[in-house]
Amino acid sequence: MIAGCILFVISYGGLFLAIRFFPGLFIEYNGPLFNSDGSRDILFYLHAFIISFALSWFWDRFKGLFKGASIIRGLEFGSVYSIIALLPVMWISYSALDITLPIVLSWFVYGLLQAIIAGIVFAKINP
Amino acid sequence: MPYKNILWVYLLFISLTSFVLPQNFGRAAKTKKWVISENSSLSVNGSTNINKFSCDILAYDKTDTLTISKSNSDNEIVLSGSIGLDVKSFDCHNSIMTHDLRKTLKESQFPMLHIKFLSLNKLPDLTTHPELITGFVNIEIAGITKRFEVNYQITEDDQKVIHLLGSRDINFSDFNLIPPRKLGGMIKTKDKLSVDFHLNMKTID
Repeated sequence: MIAGCILFVISYGGLFLAIRFFPGLFIEYNGPLFNSDGSRDILFYLHAFIISFALSWFWDRFKGLFKGASIIRGLEFGSVYSIIALLPVMWISYSALDITLPIVLSWFVYGLLQAIIAGIVFAKINP
Repeated sequence: MPYKNILWVYLLFISLTSFVLPQNFGRAAKTKKWVISENSSLSVNGSTNINKFSCDILAYDKTDTLTISKSNSDNEIVLSGSIGLDVKSFDCHNSIMTHDLRKTLKESQFPMLHIKFLSLNKLPDLTTHPELITGFVNIEIAGITKRFEVNYQITEDDQKVIHLLGSRDINFSDFNLIPPRKLGGMIKTKDKLSVDFHLNMKTID
């Protein structure tokens, strides 16, 4: 829950600032691929908690594999998650959906940063 | 006897003048018909918090007729006729925005939007000098009809083509439409839309 709250603030705060300062990167989100009636907003904002719960289980099972300082453990944890889970999902998304490479890369980087932050938080509170 | 003559004269006067109506009486003193030509256009301009969009119907492909008549009873200029526009004809110069606008306007349920002309505040002089007038229209979008006052600029060029430019700001919410919002509302389309149209017309007898 702590990781979820931290991820919530950082993820959506970061997204808000990115939209404000780099609006051109988000033009593509006006497309029909993205929900536009607001009916799923609650699910969108729950994502930070969903991913933090999933990553906390992953951390609990495999934390012994990550050695060193909290930041190093977080970096390694985030990288492992990104290679195992994000990369294949982004691959299939780009191949199947009508989205551009910058969008897919931004999603990959966004997920990687979320996992690194979650890993650092886990390393601090549940070493 | 003189009284009888006076009465006859009086009755004659009444009979004759009853066929001569003052100019401000009667049903309609003047009626004109304007045929809308095919190169008329309409554009809708709006914005989101990250960009602006402009969607056009550049070639209106129907030849509808507007009838303009002066109602003598109250000097009202009655304008009758309407234009129907295919929602799928909108081109926002960006396939993403075009698809999004059509979806927002519920194109699958309501493929047409209509502008019905109702009145003008004065009879236009029709000169090459732009004349500013106003008038009321009914706009029907997504099955909802609303009445708006529209600002017009009207001219007639050397080829006797009448140019009627109309503009009006409307809101998505006027028609119970929800402006698109993405990413949990972080990207929002503003409620206000600016509608501009340019009708090219010719007078027919």
